[in-house]
Amino acid sequence: MDDRFKYRDDREAYSAARVRALEALLIKKGVITDKSVDTVLDFFETRMGPFNGAKIVAKAWSDPAFKDRLVADTPKAIAELNLPEGMAGAEGEHMRAVANGPHVHNLIICTLCSCYPWPVLGLPPYWYKDPTFRSRAAREPRAVLKEFGLAVPDAVEIKVWDSSAQIRWFVVPERPAGTEHLSEMELEALITPETMMGVAVAKAS
Amino acid sequence: MLTHYEGFAMTEMMGKPDNPPRANGSLCFSSEWERTAFGMALALAKQGYFEWDDFRDELIAEIKSWEDAHPVDRSSWNYYDRWLAALEKAAVKTGVLDADEIKAAFAT
Repeated sequence: MDDRFKYRDDREAYSAARVRALEALLIKKGVITDKSVDTVLDFFETRMGPFNGAKIVAKAWSDPAFKDRLVADTPKAIAELNLPEGMAGAEGEHMRAVANGPHVHNLIICTLCSCYPWPVLGLPPYWYKDPTFRSRAAREPRAVLKEFGLAVPDAVEIKVWDSSAQIRWFVVPERPAGTEHLSEMELEALITPETMMGVAVAKAS
Repeated sequence: MLTHYEGFAMTEMMGKPDNPPRANGSLCFSSEWERTAFGMALALAKQGYFEWDDFRDELIAEIKSWEDAHPVDRSSWNYYDRWLAALEKAAVKTGVLDADEIKAAFAT
């Protein structure tokens, strides 16, 4: 066995020290600066991710007129909100929202990895790209959702939206009962990426 | 299509054997060094020191050789350990750093 893979009790501290040494060396040589790592990570941590989708949905829950505009012209409605730039730009411009209601439940799937609406939803979970998930979700969405622990009543129609390079769908879940007193910010906490993919429904905490 | 480099890079990895761990739509790091290792690789590729695909080839090779060496007990697996090893290799291969330099920096 390759001895560089030998288990070390201090593996965590060892790796941390190696990273520190490498970063210090790259900074000393002027390859990167002490801000480079934060600049890259800022993109994932504060600009693009599921927190954007949660803000959009919370606004739609609190403001029915906004919800109507969101479904009618998604990029235009998103542009009304004070979200990071890029949201309504190149990556976001083909975004389309579909709203769940008492008689319809929406589910998004995607046949190409690049069409996940990740400025809004963040990075897709591991199973999303799984060919079995995609083909079964298209063919028998009700059974697949049941396996996710979501029993959609027979009276509710399930619509499946296949994202493509042209259109990236996301779901506006229904506002759960018993949340009338919550602020938009409190509502955001109830809106997970799964609810905006349509594999879960939002619950009152 | 005009897109952020970070977005492009992550999208490329999705569903591939080297795609990073994530939870609830976000990347997940269990410690600061993992986050730093991730950010350094992206920063170097973004600045053109190496191609993102070249880094990923190293990462995929690192993951494979670790798995081959650990056919049964995988309890010591850490994705970002492999990431770090791949980053060092890619930096050496493309001439950003040389191996002795890395060794010396780590020794001090």
